[in-house]
Amino acid sequence: MVNNVYLPRIGEIIEIKDEVKGARPIKTFRVRLTDGPIFSFRCGQCAMLSVFGKGESMISISSSPLVTDYLQFSILKMGRVTSALHEMEPGNLIGVRGPYGNGFPIESWKGKNLIFIGGGIGLAPIWSVLQTALLQKDDYGELMLIYGARTSQDLVFRSELQQLKNQIPVHLSIDVAEPGWSEFVGFVPQNVLDKKPSPQNAIAITCGPPIMIKFVIKALKDLGFEDDQIYTTVENKMKCGIGKCGRCNIGHHYVCKDGPVYSWAQLKELPQEF
Amino acid sequence: MMEKTILKSSFPQWIKSLQSFKVFIPKRENFGWELSSNNQILEIASDYTYPVVPPKKLIFPQEEIFFEFEQNPDNGIELKEVLPEESPQVIFGVRPCDGRAVEAMDLVFGGSFEDLYYWRRRRQTTLVGLACHQPPSENCFCLSVEGSPYSEDGLDILLTDLGDRYFVKALTEKGEKLLSEAPSLFKEITPKDREEKERVHLEAQGKIKRHLNGARELPEKIKAIFDSNFWDEESSNCLRCGICTYLCPTCHCFDINDETKSLAPLRGRRIRTWDTCQFPDFTMHSSGHNPRPDRASRLRQRLAHKFLYFILLYDRFQCVGCGRCISLCPVGIDIIEVLTRARNHGK
Ligand SMILES: Cc1cc2nc3c(=O)[nH]c(=O)nc-3n(C[C@H](O)[C@H](O)[C@H](O)COP(=O)(O)OP(=O)(O)OC[C@H]3O[C@@H](n4cnc5c(N)ncnc54)[C@H](O)[C@@H]3O)c2cc1C
Ligand code: SF4
Ligand code: FES
Repeated sequence: MVNNVYLPRIGEIIEIKDEVKGARPIKTFRVRLTDGPIFSFRCGQCAMLSVFGKGESMISISSSPLVTDYLQFSILKMGRVTSALHEMEPGNLIGVRGPYGNGFPIESWKGKNLIFIGGGIGLAPIWSVLQTALLQKDDYGELMLIYGARTSQDLVFRSELQQLKNQIPVHLSIDVAEPGWSEFVGFVPQNVLDKKPSPQNAIAITCGPPIMIKFVIKALKDLGFEDDQIYTTVENKMKCGIGKCGRCNIGHHYVCKDGPVYSWAQLKELPQEF
Repeated sequence: MMEKTILKSSFPQWIKSLQSFKVFIPKRENFGWELSSNNQILEIASDYTYPVVPPKKLIFPQEEIFFEFEQNPDNGIELKEVLPEESPQVIFGVRPCDGRAVEAMDLVFGGSFEDLYYWRRRRQTTLVGLACHQPPSENCFCLSVEGSPYSEDGLDILLTDLGDRYFVKALTEKGEKLLSEAPSLFKEITPKDREEKERVHLEAQGKIKRHLNGARELPEKIKAIFDSNFWDEESSNCLRCGICTYLCPTCHCFDINDETKSLAPLRGRRIRTWDTCQFPDFTMHSSGHNPRPDRASRLRQRLAHKFLYFILLYDRFQCVGCGRCISLCPVGIDIIEVLTRARNHGK
């Protein structure tokens, strides 16, 4: 029997956490699959989540592949599907198909220092790698997180970040000053230049809004990082997730299948249509 | 491979013998030719050109249901996969360009994620090609994109019109099976049949009027002028109607959407429909950001997909030179002219 790639499995939401409230809310969902164990996947891969009657959205898996009880997704409310997801409660059912995409080549990063640089919801795909590296600490060198959002209330995984500070250097930032904020004020790329992570034996992994990524890459280059030391993810509108519906391409690459993870060395060679 | 002839007077009997198949034959409609399965037509009209909507629609329909979803009483969700019926079909009058287009589409729907819906239909489809003794359109340019009026690629049978009879070349097992449905109608070929067939093929080749020279140079050229304002000038008249892609035999882009029939209990279906890179919202993110925000980037996408990306992926053009997009574009955007200007741009 050939597998029907468009037919989702049914997932049950087992936990929902409010990460960010307000006009651009973010919630984190933990999902189990009702027909058996979750699929295995790689850090940086995604899943197509369905709300039946609304449609599908591509979402990064933010949990580590080493966690096999559930899949975790952190989702910013945008349009039809993501708004419907935000209405859901534990026990509700959704569709899940995947995993899709290439994922980060973390096997080739063993022994290296990893610098994670995220903005806003862009922490989600990074989180999967970060959690994995923390669980396999002996395999990697020094870890560092530089993460920012518009305001302190827009930072995701706030309680986890506080705990993380006991384990690795965590440098947070917000765009404009707020009373009581003692960390960096300014954009993420500025914080990168301020903290000056060393390119020595290092890999930088950055996800966030396209404009942030652009300037983070510039900052990293200024600090001496080579193109193949910088990894990022590309976001394009998606429907099929498997390289057939034709909309997510940058040049001859289908981001859903050949991406979303690219080293800057690869990405700069492709048309900048994202 | 098997070569025979069949008299045109015997052709209706052959069609009638194909009772276990759904048979599509070109039918004249007021908008042009259509592949029809009405069972009334038993021959291919002598003035048949090619169908307005290419045969892709019988393998990759404009709209199809993926599955139905329904909330059950204990609040679970039931998914009912809706796969295409198990019903073999034969399409007569497939022009060689359209046959090559199906072959190109096979590459897209195959690969690491096989598309079950496509392959269900594809495997049950027998394509009976008809060599062109006359180019069906004044805009045909198959010769420029590695095709020909008698190309066999993608076809199960190739018919060549020899006046009172067809030269029948069965190219695949599926094709041979179709001959075996009425073996007595098919005659052994003579050297004269073969000679005539070769002559028809060569003559047809000479009748093709339009040419896109140096198509293999286009990938490099498109890359070189990717960021130039060439595309703005070329695309400024585009109405974004999408005809060039909907009626293109190789264009495969689609959308997936849910349709709800009832909210409580929830009941509906997920469907796939043809979509086009010529619509602005094809690539527009929810945020409003659009990586291909203007006509220029969308025309470039259409042509780069056909003459650059597909070559990088599969080493073949994703254009078979049928000329439909030229003839049917309401504002006369002509792929041959645009690409010819692209080749000469900056020279
Ligand atoms: C590889 C990848 C990973 C992503 N990871 C996350 C994540 O971890 N968390 C998160 O909150 N968001 C993520 N997104 C963005 C998320 O997919 C979109 O915000 C979401 O699809 C919007 O859907 P909607 O129905 O709410 O909006 P609508 O505007 O109603 O969108 C309609 C449909 O268009 C498509 N679409 C629209 N915008 C996008 C977009 N930006 N990206 C992809 N498809 C889109 C979807 O199929 C969507 O269902 C990711 C996108 C990609 C491509
Ligand atoms: S057919 Fe012509 S007007 Fe319509 S989308 Fe294509 S190029 Fe534009
Ligand atoms: S989402 Fe369909 S091709 Fe990438």
